[in-house]
Amino acid sequence: MRFVARRLGFFLVTLWAAVTLNFLIPRLMPGNAAIAMMSRYKGRLNPNALHALEIAFGVNAHQSLVHAYFTYLGNILTGHFGTSLTFFPDTVAHQVLQALPWTLALVGTTTIIAFVLGTAIGLVSAWRRGTVLDGALPPLFVITSAFPYFWLALLAIWLFSIKLGWFPESGGYDVTTTVGWNWTFFTDAVNHSLLPALTIVVTAIGGWILTMRNNTITVLTEDYVRMARAKGLKPHRIMWNYAGRNAILPNLVGFAMSLGFVVGGAILVEFVFNYPGVGWMFLQSVENQDYALMQALFLLITVAVLIAILAADVATAILDPRTRERG
Amino acid sequence: MSLPTVADPLEPAGATVGSGPPEEATRRSVGADLFRSVARNKKALVGLGLLLVFAVLAIIPGQIAPDNPRAKIYPPGLGPSAHHIFGTTAYGEDVFSQLIFGTRQSLLIALLVGGLATVIAVVVGVSAGYLGGTTDGILSLITDVILVIPIFPLIIVIAAYERNSGLFTLVIVLGVLGWSYGARQLRSQTLSLRTRDFLEAARVRGERKSYVIVHEILPTMTSLILASFLGAALYAVLFAAGLQFIGLGDPNSQSWGTMLYWAENNEALGAGMPYWAIMPGVCVALLGAAFALMNYAFDEISSPALRLRKLERKGVDTDGAEVVESRPADPKNILEVRNLSVSYASAAGPVVAVDDVSFELAKGEFLGVVGESACGKSTLVYAIARLLGAPLAGEITNGQVLFKGQDMVTLSDKQLRHIRWRDYSVVMQSAMNALNPVLTVAAQMRDACEAHSTMTKRQIEERSKEVLRLVSIDPVHLHSYPHQLSGGMRQRAMIAMALLFTPELIVMDEPTSALDVVGQRSLMVQIKELQEQLGFAVIFVTHDMSLVRHFSDRLLVMYAAQVAELGRTRQLFEKPLHPYTSGLLEAFPSIHGPKEHLLGIPGSPPDLLRPPAGCRFAPRCPHAFARCEAERPQLLEVDGELVRCFLHEPATVQEPAKEGVA
Repeated sequence: MRFVARRLGFFLVTLWAAVTLNFLIPRLMPGNAAIAMMSRYKGRLNPNALHALEIAFGVNAHQSLVHAYFTYLGNILTGHFGTSLTFFPDTVAHQVLQALPWTLALVGTTTIIAFVLGTAIGLVSAWRRGTVLDGALPPLFVITSAFPYFWLALLAIWLFSIKLGWFPESGGYDVTTTVGWNWTFFTDAVNHSLLPALTIVVTAIGGWILTMRNNTITVLTEDYVRMARAKGLKPHRIMWNYAGRNAILPNLVGFAMSLGFVVGGAILVEFVFNYPGVGWMFLQSVENQDYALMQALFLLITVAVLIAILAADVATAILDPRTRERG
Repeated sequence: MSLPTVADPLEPAGATVGSGPPEEATRRSVGADLFRSVARNKKALVGLGLLLVFAVLAIIPGQIAPDNPRAKIYPPGLGPSAHHIFGTTAYGEDVFSQLIFGTRQSLLIALLVGGLATVIAVVVGVSAGYLGGTTDGILSLITDVILVIPIFPLIIVIAAYERNSGLFTLVIVLGVLGWSYGARQLRSQTLSLRTRDFLEAARVRGERKSYVIVHEILPTMTSLILASFLGAALYAVLFAAGLQFIGLGDPNSQSWGTMLYWAENNEALGAGMPYWAIMPGVCVALLGAAFALMNYAFDEISSPALRLRKLERKGVDTDGAEVVESRPADPKNILEVRNLSVSYASAAGPVVAVDDVSFELAKGEFLGVVGESACGKSTLVYAIARLLGAPLAGEITNGQVLFKGQDMVTLSDKQLRHIRWRDYSVVMQSAMNALNPVLTVAAQMRDACEAHSTMTKRQIEERSKEVLRLVSIDPVHLHSYPHQLSGGMRQRAMIAMALLFTPELIVMDEPTSALDVVGQRSLMVQIKELQEQLGFAVIFVTHDMSLVRHFSDRLLVMYAAQVAELGRTRQLFEKPLHPYTSGLLEAFPSIHGPKEHLLGIPGSPPDLLRPPAGCRFAPRCPHAFARCEAERPQLLEVDGELVRCFLHEPATVQEPAKEGVA
């Protein structure tokens, strides 16, 4: 129980830190970006909404910082993220909900694929220690893990879309199709997502392969693996139930974090492909100096990471009986 | 009596006691060791080479680049040619020159951010780990919070307010946000160092905390600090390029990221000018790869498990005959080990850990294998059980292991699998480590049963409960995880597991050493009872001769990879033949015998990489004479026992041993 309480405490502290950063950054930065933004809103918003924005960005000088801070916290807690300039008069919350499914589908799927595939390859690579496979994989993936992923996306577009014409160049779907739950739209969306998915998997998989390989090599020196051999278990059983089950534990938190980063993780890939997800919208808001939208998205990205970490704690507790009783 | 033997001149200096504080020596050699390891690691060398090339480009770009990178003097959008290797930009500048001049900023960002992040990581991580308590609580919380806050979006938020930010802002922001991962690692490393002797010693000396951190802790963490620096540098290169690419940097700066930004702005791909986008990306990837390769190499260097060594067989030098007799095994023996040798690969060449060992084990016999640590006892029994492999990565280089008449050395893994656990099982030193922590005892019994029988789930459950009862564990513990059992229970559970198929041989590697004296005694009694009841033979490894005194039929005394003495237990205790056996007997108190002064054996076993030229025990032997240092003694048969000592050669026995000749 204490374990749960401690993790919840950590969750709240981090959430508070992110919200506070969001509040402080516009105030700490020199220049008057926010004031410029406010003047663009004038006359387009009703006075109440304008007032909320003033609090959020600290434009209104005749309000004490502390008072503004608590008003801001109140607005966040009640889900009032303000009004988006870009998509006026739509609310920020509504806009974000539009973009979220795209990102979750693309980056979520690819993150899971990269983790599952990378973990399996890393495990097998460590298991076949000293073979050609294991000799070639680590250096190769050390190098690919250093590739800028947006650059890989550019290369992919150049090669597969422009040169070979296999995939659409950009966007999430063909604008001529009707958005909705129909087969044409679905296949079109999948077709548009293949190239971005490929670049994400290629850049993300290396890290999983390397960490899983190194974890497994360490686990293979454990007595319980030798014991499993002594028991005459089949090799694949030792590999999965003894080596794999234990080697994956340290990676779970990392996987959860990357699931959390899904929401904002592939910002540059979405940017390069003009993919209508959260990352693309985030950069649009930066471009348009739409700070209300930008900050709401930043909070969303942070909360997603936190929820994912809580999920990782649950997963670790299920897979590692020792943590269940530690707290 | 005898003079202390002179240290072997070939022994490395520092092995002798009293040659200055050992920490001095280790600390001085940290740098040299690291240098040697880097020089041997291909990945580190490639990374370092790449980094050096970029460093030259960053320092003297003007001397290398053919053109001024900002001179818009050529026709825009030229393709590659002899004059312009990578063509010209949309504004008529030479792409190749821009690439060379762009190196400086990327490298500068990498080094500055790496440095800043590492300094913060070291200060936070080491203070948290060393000071502990509330300081640790607060610092760890901050570290964890920063670790989970999505850095790239946060940097974008900051950059959105501070547009066209210069190099300085970029470095500060990246550095201040990028230290948390390194800090976490340094903290846990410091925590593990905290209880080490040399830090205790510094604390006792009354050194100031800051002194201890700077002079005692940091030098031992050189690799980790370097890894933290390289990791931060890699992340800085990638993030900076990404930020500049989306236009959140100074668009007039001379950098690869800015080149990518202009390439995207001028639609390089659509305009058929892929070089604008490809080449800066290649540079970023190469610089990143340099940091990543070195980082990975340091990982390998600091954790030896990741390095793989191959045994060079021709360098193996074993003692005695390499010939193995081909006569069939005696059917009354469950096991016959003939001329067994095992070697390990080490950085300095092969090490012979088991050297020409032969013995026989009758059905139902209890054989104790005794000797100090690192004498090859465990290697011997794991070689017999065909369980060598990391961390005991030895290889059998010679000999036969005839188990029920079949040579186990020549069996394939698949053939072995069928006799493992059914015919012979293994009990290890620490059940805590030998039981899989994430599976219940029941699950670990079940997979063994499933591997070797067609028992139903119910039968397996019944059999598991039955063997638990045999070792006096209440079957309610069957579905517990190993960590939920007490130390004694875990050890018994492992023995229970070994009994699942009532095998004919159980190999036990110090199964009682994790227990207290009372627990050891009761477990020994239980093992003996089970043996008498079920009739299996036992090979029992221990460093404590007195433990097996009343349980073993015969004893095999090992010293420095060889058999020193082999004989009946009672006779060995009453009349030890080898001086080493006598020394071992004097090292342990007898519970029942009269009060005696414990002598023990001065010195420690020899380095097996360079064993003494003559008798391996000679340097520590109180009875050594000239011949012992020059000649290797062979095993002699004396009163039906075997002993490796010149004192018992018929010629020597006649005349009294000369003493103290060195």
